[in-house]
Order: sequence, then structure tokens, then C-alpha cells
Amino acid sequence: MDMYAVRTLRSQPLRLALTVGGIALCIVLMLFLLAVYRGVADGSVEYIRQNRADLWVLQDNATNILRGSSLIRPEQILAISRAPGVRTAAPVLFLLSTIRRGDRVGTIFLTGFDPGAGLGGPPALAWGRGPRADDEIVLDRSFAMKFGFKAGEEVDLQGRRLKLVGISRGTNAFVIQYAFVTLRFARDLIGVPGLATCVMVNAEPGAEIGPIREEICDVLAGLQAYDQATFLANNVHEMRSGFLPLLYTVAAIGSVVLTAILSLLLSVNILERRKDFAILKTLGAPSGFLWGLVVKQAALIASVSCAAALALFFPLVRLIERVSPEVTAKSTPGQVAGVAAAVLLMSLASSLAAVRRLRRIYVLEAFS
Amino acid sequence: MNGPGSSAPLVRLEGVTKVFNGSGHSTTAVRDVSLEARRGEMVLLMGPSGSGKTTLLTLIAGLARPTSGRVSLFGRGIERFSTRELQAFRAERIGFIFQAFLLIEALTAAENVGIVLRFGRTRRSERAARAGALLGELGVGHLADRFPAGLSQGEKQRVAVARALANGAELLIADEPTGSLETRQAVGIIALLHEQARKRGAAVIVASHDLRLRDFADRIVTLRDGAIA
Repeated sequence: MDMYAVRTLRSQPLRLALTVGGIALCIVLMLFLLAVYRGVADGSVEYIRQNRADLWVLQDNATNILRGSSLIRPEQILAISRAPGVRTAAPVLFLLSTIRRGDRVGTIFLTGFDPGAGLGGPPALAWGRGPRADDEIVLDRSFAMKFGFKAGEEVDLQGRRLKLVGISRGTNAFVIQYAFVTLRFARDLIGVPGLATCVMVNAEPGAEIGPIREEICDVLAGLQAYDQATFLANNVHEMRSGFLPLLYTVAAIGSVVLTAILSLLLSVNILERRKDFAILKTLGAPSGFLWGLVVKQAALIASVSCAAALALFFPLVRLIERVSPEVTAKSTPGQVAGVAAAVLLMSLASSLAAVRRLRRIYVLEAFS
Repeated sequence: MNGPGSSAPLVRLEGVTKVFNGSGHSTTAVRDVSLEARRGEMVLLMGPSGSGKTTLLTLIAGLARPTSGRVSLFGRGIERFSTRELQAFRAERIGFIFQAFLLIEALTAAENVGIVLRFGRTRRSERAARAGALLGELGVGHLADRFPAGLSQGEKQRVAVARALANGAELLIADEPTGSLETRQAVGIIALLHEQARKRGAAVIVASHDLRLRDFADRIVTLRDGAIA
């Protein structure tokens, strides 16, 4: 009787294809959102993850670098570097800046760091090297692709000419991309010498972090210091708070559409085959058997749709990344498995909605 | 195997009345009907359209409950059966033949027969063999893999009989089984039912207004306006 479920679905090939297509697109949408989320999650905080500092020092009340402002004065930077137990203190200046190429203008998250300090630079390079001189720049790969920058080319940054010496990876935060210059150039750009957004601190070997943190927070007024894990968590939280509501909303809409499409198909199928169901009820089919038929049809459509979605998803992502390089999508087997499980649950919900129609099919219909 | 009327009645109706209540009016479909059917016996319910034959069949099969009176199946009043028990009862002890046979178009002949065995909790490994054997016994074994659309009327009727007999039914219920058939086919199916019922010791209750069936009936009950005429 399992064949009944398959054959009745196959008897209307166009309807089945449209249903599978609609559901597959919903699944693709969910997979794509998750993949973009993963890409954004990695791109937003990879800089922090790779630049391992014992402490990240910011202006008081600033908790992250993604959505907050922090200004640290030169004398504070000096005091941090002289605090007991501090081996290195590397100031970094983050600015929103613009790059022009022809008529096109792009905004970047400009990161000025001290190349000699060994901290604050690009987390990974796809090509080239980090900036060493004040007329050199490293661009995020997606940004460079989008604007068509090639190795050795000149980059127009707010009217300053810089040489492109490297392309970085893990620096695409979707809505904005990182670019790297020397700290001196960044300070010169804003015209305020000695200023920093944050200071990355590494302790002397064997020194305890707690007392250093206390010294910075308590003695040096107006500063806050976070250990690596806390600072990473702060930034992840900030990234999520900006992205997850959108993700949840679109995913919820996709889920409702998917469930509605499937429920509609199953209901139509039941109504079209109501004589069959009336016969089966008369012949003594248990309720569970009839429900099982509908659930099997739902699971079958969901499985075929998942397969179709996967076949469509990966080529589509490659195409989107080519057309819009700032979109970085990363899929994991866990994401795919999670979406597949969610789709199966939605198919179960659809079948439960459709199964209610069975109650309105009466055995006497077999005798009419 | 038992001869006709040689045992306690499988079906007994005592003063059964069925009233359907609609919006603002009620219709009495069956009025104070009493009858019995025993093993090996074929009872023919006759009467014009709207005389209550089909309603009476549904009451006999436990598909509907009487408004008043008592229906007993296999010695037990159906008022004592839960809905689930009645469903199991139909799956295991009652066979149905519908008007125009009503085979399920999406299933092969063997699957149409096997489905009843599934409801009767026959093991999966036995179902195909039993369905095949039954179809073979009725002369359509070679059509086991055909869908109903590919069967003639005569072949469909044999598959329908096989489905009705598949669960080892002790009570066979047929609703206008010859309605759309030529005389040869109509007589063929009733003869087949009669023969199988005798062979298996089952009671057969047929609702029809087809006079060609009278010769096969052990007993004829004529209904008019819901009551026995």
C-alpha cells in the first residue's frame, strides 16, 4: 500500500513537480540564509578570533568593535603599555572610509595597525602580504573582486593613492568589508595623532591576566578590558543581534509557505481520492493506516524536495557569489541536516493539517 | 463447511429503524425491519431505488447504528462494539462488494486483494501469496499485476470477489453488484458469490433491484419505503 502513496502522487506529475519545486525553493531559501549567516558570523569576528590578544582594551562602555565607538587617548595607550605585567600593547584604529574606483564608491572598515607589533593585521591572506609602508593597503577579497582590483594596482582611498599589496580572507562582514593600512596612515587620515579605537594587550610570560585587567580598568579611568573569549562573545552577540531577527523572520515565512503548499497538495489529494478513502474505511482500514498514507506522502514529497533543493543550492550559491562577491555563504553538513530535519517536521505538521479532511469522509460514500 | 441455515444466525435484526435527521425534517430510511442470515445462506434484499436497501446493508455491516431496534453480528449486539472494534470486525470477518466493484485504481489486482489482508493483520510475507492464490482460484491469477483500468468488467468482478473473500469473511455484503453488467456477467458474479459462500460457509446479503438474481437467493426480502413488504 506504500505504492498507493507513490502512485497517487505520480498520477498528477505537473502538480507534483510544481509542489516539489515550490518546497525546494523554500528549502533553498532557508539553506541560503543559514549559509549567509555562517559566512557573516565568520567574516565579522574572524579578525578577533585570529588576532589572539590576552586583553582587548576599549573606552569604557564600549563592548565590541562592530557596532560601538571607542576612542583611547595617546596618554592612556602609553599608560597601558607601562602597566605591570604588560609585554606588548598594540593600538588599532578602526575607521569607516571610502574607496573610489571610477564612478563607483565603496565603504570599507579601515583598520590601521602597527605592522611591527605583530597584532591587529589581516587574519588571513589569500594573496600577497600585509602593509608595511604607509602607502600600502590590503583589501578584503570580496571587496577587491566586487570592484575589480588586481595585485599592484593603485587604490584611491579618500583621495590618497595606496598600492594594493595583499588580499585578505575572513574579513567580509556582509554589509561591510575590512581593509588594512598602517596605524600611522589611519591616524593621518583623520588628522588626530596618537588616537586608537582599541589596544590589544599581551602579557609577560607567566604573568596573570586578572591583575593586569584590574590595573587597566581601576587605575586608568575610563577604560574597559576584556579577555579574548569575552570580547569574542561580545562581538558575536552584536553580530547576531543585527542578523538573527532577519534570519528568523525570513525562515519563518519560508516555513509557513512550505507547510501551506504541502498541506494544500495533501488536502487536494485526499479530496480527489475521497472515494478510495471511503472504500478503505469501509473495508476496515484503521485510522492510523489512513493517516500513515498521508504522512508517507508528505514525507515523500519533503524528501524529494530536499534532494531537489540540494541539487539546486550549491550551484546557485556559486552563481550568487560570482555575481555578488560580498555575499559569502558557508554551508556545513550540520546546517543541511538541521534544515532537512526541520523540513521533515514541517511535512509532519502539513500532514496533520491535511489529515483532518479524512474525518469528513464517510464510509457511506462507498455506497453512493 | 455448513449448509444453509444449519447454524445460529450470523446476522440478526430485530425491529430495526433508522431515521436520518436533516435541517428541520427527518427521513425514516428503514422502518421496523427484522431479519436473519445464516452461514451458507444468500439473502437477497430487493426493492426499488430509495426503498432502504443500502441503508439496511450499512446497518447490517455495522457502518451505521440503528435509531431503534437491535442489530446483532455473530451473536453480539453492535451497540456493544466500539468504533475501533467495528473497524476490526469489518477488516477480519466481513467482505464487501460495491456497486461497479470500486477497485482502487492506483493498486494492482493483487494489491487490491492484499490490502484487506493488511487490515486483517496478516503478515506481510503471506499477503502476496494469499492474494495470488485467491486470484488464481477465481481464474484471474494471471492478471495479478494489472491495474483496474486494464481489466474487463468480468475480470474486475472477479478481483472484487477475491477482495471480499480475502480476509476469510464469514459475512459477505454486496451492494447492487450487477447494476452495470450484462446478463451473462451479472449471473456470473452472483453464481460466483453463491458458490464461494457455500464453499466457505459464509452468509451473503445482496442488495439489488435486479430480478435476474432471484434464482440464486435462498431467501428474498422485499423492501418498500423502508419496511419489509
